[in-house]
Amino acid sequence: MRSPNIVCPNSESLLQKFKGHAVALRMNSCDHIAEGVAHLRKSGNTLFCVIVESDRPLAEIQFEDHHRGIPLAVMVPAAGRFRDLAAHLHRVRELNLRVYLPCDNPDNLTSLRILSSVGIHCCAVFGNGRTDWESLADLATYAVLERSPHAPIEPFAFIVSNYPASKRLDWGRVFFDDPGHFLHLDEDGRVALSQAELAEKRFVAQSLGEIGAPDEFPPIRERLRSWRHYFTDNHPCAFCAGWKICLGKFSPSLSENAGCSGFFTEMIDLVRQHTALKVALQEQRIWQL
Amino acid sequence: MANILLTSSCNRSCPYCFARNEISGPSGGQRLSWENLIYIADFLWASGQRKVSLLGGEPTLHPQCGDFILYLIDRGFKVTVFTNGILSPSRLKEFRRHLTEMPLEKLDLVCNLNDPVLTPAVPQEMQRLNSFLAVMGPWTRAGFNIYRLDFTLDFLFDHINRFSMKRRLRLGIAHPVPGSQGSFIPTQDLRSVVTRLYSFRQLFETYRISLRLDCGFPLCKFSDQELGWLYRSGSHSPFGCGPALDIAPDMTAYHCFPLSNYKRKSLFEFNSLEEINKHFSQLRDEIRTEIPGIYEECDGCHCREGGVCAGGGMCQIVCRFLGEAPIRPAGIEDEISKYRMSK
Repeated sequence: MRSPNIVCPNSESLLQKFKGHAVALRMNSCDHIAEGVAHLRKSGNTLFCVIVESDRPLAEIQFEDHHRGIPLAVMVPAAGRFRDLAAHLHRVRELNLRVYLPCDNPDNLTSLRILSSVGIHCCAVFGNGRTDWESLADLATYAVLERSPHAPIEPFAFIVSNYPASKRLDWGRVFFDDPGHFLHLDEDGRVALSQAELAEKRFVAQSLGEIGAPDEFPPIRERLRSWRHYFTDNHPCAFCAGWKICLGKFSPSLSENAGCSGFFTEMIDLVRQHTALKVALQEQRIWQL
Repeated sequence: MANILLTSSCNRSCPYCFARNEISGPSGGQRLSWENLIYIADFLWASGQRKVSLLGGEPTLHPQCGDFILYLIDRGFKVTVFTNGILSPSRLKEFRRHLTEMPLEKLDLVCNLNDPVLTPAVPQEMQRLNSFLAVMGPWTRAGFNIYRLDFTLDFLFDHINRFSMKRRLRLGIAHPVPGSQGSFIPTQDLRSVVTRLYSFRQLFETYRISLRLDCGFPLCKFSDQELGWLYRSGSHSPFGCGPALDIAPDMTAYHCFPLSNYKRKSLFEFNSLEEINKHFSQLRDEIRTEIPGIYEECDGCHCREGGVCAGGGMCQIVCRFLGEAPIRPAGIEDEISKYRMSK
């Protein structure tokens, strides 16, 4: 297992505590991007991306020319009105950016489709218990099967490009939630295995130094193998047709996620259709040689 | 070009309205959703279509009208909006803020104007119209529908000059709408319309305003001299009656407003514009096989057979079917019976 990427707040002193990692810097405003990236480069780490967690809609965020080339994950509560966004769409499209929108608000499902159709890479954040699984399936169908050019919508684009996977593949990495790929640090350098656990202050180590080789660190190893419990415990998720993609992600709140099974089963079908389409296109290409 | 109907609401009630079968009044009514707009944009784009028109009802009554215009322009479409120009102050403010920077080649507005004397509007409407033209005049072409024989065009020239509007006038004739009552120009009066229109020639030339005629004019009602004038004013081949292809907020497609109830079909049943055109071409062939044109002389006319003239509007022929005993083939009679039943 390679060295995991680090997700940590934008703090110069924290960045000095470790070296040689790819770092996703978290901040709440685009105003600090240049300063944060400069600190990071001085610290001997490399930039994985900058995560901007803003309370303002995308349409109200001012991006600057110097943001071009910096990988940006922009997490916003909404996209805002298109008329406000339209004026700086050309600038947004020039950025190396992915927009994260929470799907607990039905308007955001529409916004994701709009953003994708105008060429902005975006990501649906779902599974908080208020997901409209049917509308989400419509969005996934659009993301995967729409013929007109449009930007990818994650995690659907990730899922169709990587499945069927020969070994366990966690699409949670799209949301920086995969301990095999990302470790989350707080201001003091304490380590959590996910964003949610960081918020709940459930740390697995007091510093990165304690972890050593990640695949030999018991909490990480245990987390990566936790899917086995679904089978040993005869959990309903283990018998679900959508398991192969879902991997039990929504099991803690299964009653609230009654539609998740149908959604992931449909997702598997979308993967099959997408693969068939790709094969058909490749077959056509042979005749064009 | 495809016409996308944003809403079935309208804030005006014109005596000649040929969309009246689709209109629901100033409030309520159907509205096109964002999802459906994106579907239509993808559909048209995949079919190679790069021009769209936005209509209603009154399209500016749709709460997201400005967003939709900006979206379609961003998607690479040239957008034409057909409006009556009666915008609320807040909507006009939105237009001023977001659309007045738009290059003229990307956005085109057609403002349908009524004669202030023959079809008077209330003062507030006139005030709103003037405010709209004061802001959006340079993006706007004047449009006028002829529905009575004593029409005048002077007020249009006045508007075009006063508000620096585009120097092109779109002129249509009010068509009969099968199964509906409204003012229109009967086929026997079309020659009078052309004669009166030609009497305004001097004004068109003085003010350097070009003319574009809408569908349904029969070529034989123009003299060679009148045709020469039309040609020089930029109105090339206005004698067709092709599908306007209107897409309603409920995602059904139809040939044109007057024939909105005739073989209407869901857009989701088609895979491309080509398929839609094929569907409506069959409709046209079905009707034209029965009656080639609106006049007896259309049968055997070399202009119609050569495709230069459609032989008048199909809506006029369907209206004629309605007045007959049910003697037409089942495909036509099935559609006609819908109008008969709704009477």
